[in-house]
Amino acid sequence: MALNVAVIIKLEPDFSEGNVSYNPDGTLNRAETKNTLGPHSAIAAQAAFYAKVMHDAKVSIGTMGPPIADLALQQAQQISDADELHLYSDKLFAGADTLATAEVLKTGIKKMQGKMDIVFSGHRASDGETGQTGPQAAWKLGFTFLGNVISYELNLETRTIRAKRMISLQGFPDVIEEVEAPLPVFISIDPSFKSNFNTVSQRLAFQKYQKAATEKAKNYKDYLKIFNAKELGVDETLVGLPGSPTIVYKVERVPKSTATRRAEVVNGSDPVQLQKVVGRMKEALSAMVIK
Amino acid sequence: MVENYRHLYVIIEHEDGKFLPVSLEMLGEARRLLDNFNKKYSTKEKVVAVILGHNIKNISKQLIEYGADAVIFSDNPELKNVRNTIYTKVISQIAQDSKTLAEVEPEYASEIKRPRYMFFAADSVGRHLSSTVLAELESGLASDINKLVVEDIELSHQQKTAGKKETYAKTLEMYRPDFSGFLWTTILCLDNRNPAFKRDYHPQACSIIPGVFEPIKPDSSRQGKIIEFVPTIDEQDLKVKILSRKIIESEVDFDTPRTIVSFGRGIKDEPEQNIKIIEKLAKALNAEIGITLPISKKPFVVSSALDSKYMIPDRVIGTSGHKTSPLLYIAVGVSGAMQHVWGMKDSGFVVAINPDEEAPIRNECNIFIKGRMEDVIPLLIEEIKKQMQIVEA
Repeated sequence: MALNVAVIIKLEPDFSEGNVSYNPDGTLNRAETKNTLGPHSAIAAQAAFYAKVMHDAKVSIGTMGPPIADLALQQAQQISDADELHLYSDKLFAGADTLATAEVLKTGIKKMQGKMDIVFSGHRASDGETGQTGPQAAWKLGFTFLGNVISYELNLETRTIRAKRMISLQGFPDVIEEVEAPLPVFISIDPSFKSNFNTVSQRLAFQKYQKAATEKAKNYKDYLKIFNAKELGVDETLVGLPGSPTIVYKVERVPKSTATRRAEVVNGSDPVQLQKVVGRMKEALSAMVIK
Repeated sequence: MVENYRHLYVIIEHEDGKFLPVSLEMLGEARRLLDNFNKKYSTKEKVVAVILGHNIKNISKQLIEYGADAVIFSDNPELKNVRNTIYTKVISQIAQDSKTLAEVEPEYASEIKRPRYMFFAADSVGRHLSSTVLAELESGLASDINKLVVEDIELSHQQKTAGKKETYAKTLEMYRPDFSGFLWTTILCLDNRNPAFKRDYHPQACSIIPGVFEPIKPDSSRQGKIIEFVPTIDEQDLKVKILSRKIIESEVDFDTPRTIVSFGRGIKDEPEQNIKIIEKLAKALNAEIGITLPISKKPFVVSSALDSKYMIPDRVIGTSGHKTSPLLYIAVGVSGAMQHVWGMKDSGFVVAINPDEEAPIRNECNIFIKGRMEDVIPLLIEEIKKQMQIVEA
């Protein structure tokens, strides 16, 4: 039986050296920083590609963003051999918080070809970093949400998924939880997700689809559909600023903390001074620890 | 004026009957915030702890000692482990159930509809749970908060107030540090008062970074209400079966070593070489290696061996990772962003190596070695070898 999977992705600042630019005060210089497919979005696209290689899934990708976000769709298509690319782009979507973004993505996913069995999202965006949009889109779709998934296997006869989830909690050791759920599900992919192709036939399929992906990505515009608010058919009061419960009220520099330690400044090229530093380090290490 | 929203609900997390530290930290901050709030507004709103699980009635009572005025608990075998769908449904029911809301504060029974504020933990469980609960309640959520203030805010906003000046009383200012650690963004959750799309957005909710706030000292003489909520559980909400739960030991150990060497974006000139130099320094000191948050985003291309060993989230020291307190902490090429400092400030003795004397890390160290790591570390290693054989043994 056929399998349909979707991925939601995001165009983000490119934090790699040479592409990222910081202001002298240490904040991100957005105007000078290049944009790219977010690293967590790329992992979500890999997770969809796994479904393609293993089960010949149809892959659809959606993103909300400005017209230039088609670059991220192209990059994600190259990774996942996607068959359908959606860009949701409208001035009305601007200023959206996670709830209003989730509304657009939910509506878009419903417009993709075929009924979705799995939707993938990344762990969190590297600029916004909330990690809320995925689960909120899942809830609006009415899909079972599985977070922090590090690997998964599908059984298409029973239409079920088995997934391993990584749970990290403060003060407790990490736990890997294995769960089973009927499709459809919405998965947010953990950064440590790995897809393994163990058999020869899987590796051959991998190569075949990878080749196809390169071809498709060259002509990505043939697969691309752009929707404005009207074409998407969203309720305009649920998207963009009107649909956002939260606003950014102010942005400020984090106040410089008052010095908690009185630093002694030492010239790093002076061996005599470094000799003293090591002496102090030695002293610190010999201190008694009373806990 | 009749208000339909009262109280601060704190969603408690626990593992096998033990509270997560962040749960008690959130209760502590909730207590401080509402004590000020009640004084300022001459009212008696409550800190309400919400806990779900199986066989939890006894531990529920302890939440009163940690600052709650009331505890709402749901005890059911199906709630033994956290599963997003059923947990979201039950918490959303609790937040809207008129009978339970009335039990918290009978004198406002006819008016109160929902909590005013809600706190979740910004961890693997709370991050997703807060998202889905607030999607169900259709209200606003800010993530990864490290400072909270309640204010009456006067503002005019093109959408929220149709450009008119309005006062939003008792608004929760939710401060979140951005990824760089140098900017603080204040998020507000505000009702739409614009006549074109009027809408109430309550509760005002956030997820809170673990380790930021202090719990209060438990006080067994504190009194409070314990309220049981019997949830409506639909088979449809139990589709996820938990097959197994395995504890994994981390390969990174920040607790045992007496020294931690951490590095940040200062390795940028020659990332591969510099990580190797840092490895040598760590080896000479028998130290574990930590990184700053930006390094976990893999900004540099290095060999896959170094990449997979060091540029990983598990090594991050700071609010997005570990809190450490070794005897000796050496920060190499670390600027000293607030998030990172939180994770190392309790160290015994701190040495920073940095060419930039203006870097904020200077305020957080005992010795600031001014210089490039490429030049300083080899000299330092030589000296360590001369002086410190005893420590290594």
